[in-house]
Amino acid sequence: MDVPHPTFAAGRHSPRLSRRTLLQAAGGLGLAGGLAGCSTLSAGIAGTEVAPGTVQFWNLFSGGDGARLQTMLDDYTKKHGTAALEAATFAWGNPYYTKVSLATLGGHPPDVAVSHLTRAQNLARGGLLSEITDDMLAMVGLSADDFTESVWEQGKVDGKVYALPLDIHPFVLYYNIDVCQAAGVMDGDNMKPIQGLEQWESTLTAIKEETGEFALAVPTIADNATCWRWFYTLYSQHEGATPFLSDGGKELTWNEDIALKVLEHMQKWTTSGLMPKNADYAGAQTMMFTGRSGLYMMGGWEITTAQSVKDLKFGMTAIPQIFDKKAAQCDSHVFILPTMDRSAERTQRAMEFVKEMLDQSLAWAAGGHIPTFTRALDSQEFRDLKPQNNYAEVIDYVVFTPPAWYSGSGSTFENIIGAQIGLVAQDLATPKEGLDQARSQLEVYARTADPLATGEQS
Amino acid sequence: MSTAPTNATGPSVDSRVEGRADATDLDRRRASRDVAIRPGTKHEARAGWMFLLPFAIVYVLFLIWPVIYMFISSMFNTSLVETGLGSFAGFDNYREMLTKEEFWKSLWNTLVFTAFTVPPLVILAFVLAVLANRVRRGQWFFRLAFFVPFILPSAAIALIWNFIFTPGTGLWNSLQSALGNESPSPVLGTPSLAMLGVAVTTVWWTIGFNFVLYLAGLQDIPRELYEAAAVDGASQWQQIKSITIPLLGPTTSLVILLQIIASLKIFDQVYLMTGGGPGLSTQVVLGLVTNTAFTDYRVGAASAASVLLFIVIVVVALLRQAMEWFSARRAD
Amino acid sequence: MSTSNGISAAAPAARIPGEKGSGRGFTVTAWVILITLSILWLIPSLWAMKTSFTDNGVSALGAPAILEGWNLTTDSYETLLRGGDIWNWYLASFVTGVLTVFLSMLVCTMAAYALSRLEFKGRRWAMLLIVMGVMIPGNVLIVPLFALLNQLSLLGTYWAVILPQVPQVIAVFVFKRFFDGLPKEFEEAARIDGASYWRIFRSVVLPLSRPVIAAMSIVTFVGVWNNLMLPLFVLTNPRLMTIPVGLATVQGSFGQRVSDIQASSILGALPLVILFLIFQRQVVEGVAGSGLKG
Repeated sequence: MDVPHPTFAAGRHSPRLSRRTLLQAAGGLGLAGGLAGCSTLSAGIAGTEVAPGTVQFWNLFSGGDGARLQTMLDDYTKKHGTAALEAATFAWGNPYYTKVSLATLGGHPPDVAVSHLTRAQNLARGGLLSEITDDMLAMVGLSADDFTESVWEQGKVDGKVYALPLDIHPFVLYYNIDVCQAAGVMDGDNMKPIQGLEQWESTLTAIKEETGEFALAVPTIADNATCWRWFYTLYSQHEGATPFLSDGGKELTWNEDIALKVLEHMQKWTTSGLMPKNADYAGAQTMMFTGRSGLYMMGGWEITTAQSVKDLKFGMTAIPQIFDKKAAQCDSHVFILPTMDRSAERTQRAMEFVKEMLDQSLAWAAGGHIPTFTRALDSQEFRDLKPQNNYAEVIDYVVFTPPAWYSGSGSTFENIIGAQIGLVAQDLATPKEGLDQARSQLEVYARTADPLATGEQS
Repeated sequence: MSTAPTNATGPSVDSRVEGRADATDLDRRRASRDVAIRPGTKHEARAGWMFLLPFAIVYVLFLIWPVIYMFISSMFNTSLVETGLGSFAGFDNYREMLTKEEFWKSLWNTLVFTAFTVPPLVILAFVLAVLANRVRRGQWFFRLAFFVPFILPSAAIALIWNFIFTPGTGLWNSLQSALGNESPSPVLGTPSLAMLGVAVTTVWWTIGFNFVLYLAGLQDIPRELYEAAAVDGASQWQQIKSITIPLLGPTTSLVILLQIIASLKIFDQVYLMTGGGPGLSTQVVLGLVTNTAFTDYRVGAASAASVLLFIVIVVVALLRQAMEWFSARRAD
Repeated sequence: MSTSNGISAAAPAARIPGEKGSGRGFTVTAWVILITLSILWLIPSLWAMKTSFTDNGVSALGAPAILEGWNLTTDSYETLLRGGDIWNWYLASFVTGVLTVFLSMLVCTMAAYALSRLEFKGRRWAMLLIVMGVMIPGNVLIVPLFALLNQLSLLGTYWAVILPQVPQVIAVFVFKRFFDGLPKEFEEAARIDGASYWRIFRSVVLPLSRPVIAAMSIVTFVGVWNNLMLPLFVLTNPRLMTIPVGLATVQGSFGQRVSDIQASSILGALPLVILFLIFQRQVVEGVAGSGLKG
């Protein structure tokens, strides 16, 4: 039923699935609508399960990820029937985690949900997640060894496992091959290696001359998360970059000099026109797609969107080492099981769903992510996957957003700091003003007693 | 807690009716007739409470009790993810809010929002209502244009206006580009413009309400006044100046007060359009409250912020009552 | 504020004398201002409509492309209407709206009847307590309400949206004022015939109050339909969401499908526009009436 679409892929899943089921059962749209109404109505009025016997799956994947996920879900429903799954996609960031939290508190959570690794720890500490035991893993033939160790360990709270990692998704560099070739910064289909600030800026200048507009597009408006990704990548590329937050967020410990220096560079690049001052998420990628800019930075997931753009030749690679050392901001998508009374049967269903998603790690990897399921990561297929193999190395030097009860992907922390970074990049605040403003707001959170810690002490 | 309703609404259902000093003569006569037909006034009292009871239950449970709970939990470190109130915090939550930049900024933003929205909402609505009232044809059309947005969901409004304000390629920025502005500022992405964008949306959305209030007020003005003025040779403009504006004074003060209270309670537009950003430039108190409670899991602190907002709103509402009372007395 | 039920908004404006001479210039100016502003006011809706009938691929390119692209298509509407979400949201909005209106009108007219017609000890106190309720700003209570609904195990059901909206304090006052103005003769007659209070209420008072109940019902329905904050935090399952919550939270899954988003906004607004076209008079009267009271 999806109308084929030339540029952008849809990410709508569940309703269609339930509808199809009912279509098959009832053999008519009107009757189907009526039936759907009935089960929904009884759930709304009597609080019964919305769709008994199905796996309810929530995620925050839109855009390219949404389309990729859809193919994986289609594969699942092909095997188990469309009635077996009801998936829903929500707006990204805090609103999503708020929804997951409130649904769990209200006793109507989904069976399985996607979370960022950096958010899963907080959810687990709030008692909102079910522990994933060895027995549960064994149910579907999994064990800890099946996952990249560093990520697996981060999903633990007090030694208990709460997160089943699907991927690592670093912040990467996209390049428009035609534009970059014309600008002379390419070596075949790959970019010429760039090391150090000077090479980086001369590359940008060359590309800007070619496009006549911008060299590199990174969102600055209404996208706090990406502002943070970009900034934190640059910050972490410095020797002497102290942890941004310490002691679970109680201390703000970033290196002020480095942070200011990074912001100054970011501002210089936008004010000099190498990068756009004003671009939102969609606007930035469109600039690269349409050749108004040669480069674009985002998580790997926009590969799917880029592939759907007609006549666009593009590549992806790790963000170059612009400063002292290599680093790239990243996070990891994990599966979580929100707290609820789960029958053995229901647990089995949830675990099987997760297992089948993990089995499709390569399909997910095709969407720009680096799998953490070792069977996929170590496979020849992944090694041969282009352009992902250009940046698979980053797994050795990625940096996660520092932990705190108010931190994580799309969190209050990212919103506060990201907003200021965006203002600096838009040239609406000086680096000093932006950083001071972020500090004063974050200090309130640093001082506030951790609301998730109460349960741990009692 | 479930016993709260009956306790709070006063005497039990069986209580006798006494001291009916306030009853009118008619009531008394009616009551005496009742005695002839029925067991007596006890019956009426019982009926009174029975009729009141269903409302009393929902009223106490969903309006009074939450107010009480809000005050209680504001004194505790209540956490969303824990049952119970949590540890006692005294006035710490209030201290936090009253020393927090975000809280004052949210209140300030509310003021800014009020300043942006009240003048156009009052003046424009007045002008539109006066004109539409005079122009006899096409009333349905003007109501459709000006009033219909008011009854639409904020979510639909926000989707439409977010789209108009899309940076670069949206209708507004494109219009600016067409007029020669090479890099128009993104309205909702620029701290100095974002609240203006929300205000424009709000004016578009809610002007219909004031429009209708003014239309109603206009109907109250006796035609004779205009007729007399016309006989005296007053022009249309003069009539508006000396009759319509003064006589719509009460409506205007009502409109302003309603608008101030509505501004204090603003949530939807900001949540949907800017999420309080960029930075804190459009954050409002209810945004702060819901973030604190549902994202930060801090129910206690959120309750303290709610109480503070509650107090501000009640004070404004009381001022309004007082003003009405005074103007009523002056009228007597 | 003495006019509440007396506004005949649908009636043509009173004919005002003195429209000769200065009147002509005035009328022309009035028309110019009104037409200009109403066009300005219609642009956003028309823009959303135009976009919703434009192909997603075209609308993604921005305003100039939408203006120029006149290959209209109903693809976006078909996509939305074929998916289940919007139907579930309509269902939720409709069911919560109707149930809230029914319960609210029932308890509010009953309470107003007691306050207007029945003598009992404590009536003044009850009245005072309810008057105070006018000042309680509903949305400010979202946090304690959430806690309460959680304790009552109502989260994630329609009741979490319905019950807190049943006590419509302003409706009680509107009804009370209306009942105060009703002649008592019918009730007296019924009482002499031995009718119970309930019987009188049901078969004498309510039928006489049909217009005001209709107006308040519609206003309440619109209010419940449009409420964002309460359902946003208490209804989490996408199947059970009301229209505003669905539009606000599930929009992320549209990705960049601009036309779909605008179509969803139009579809979310459409039932209310239809409601308005059918019940223009009641809507306007109800809004003005409750506004003047509030």
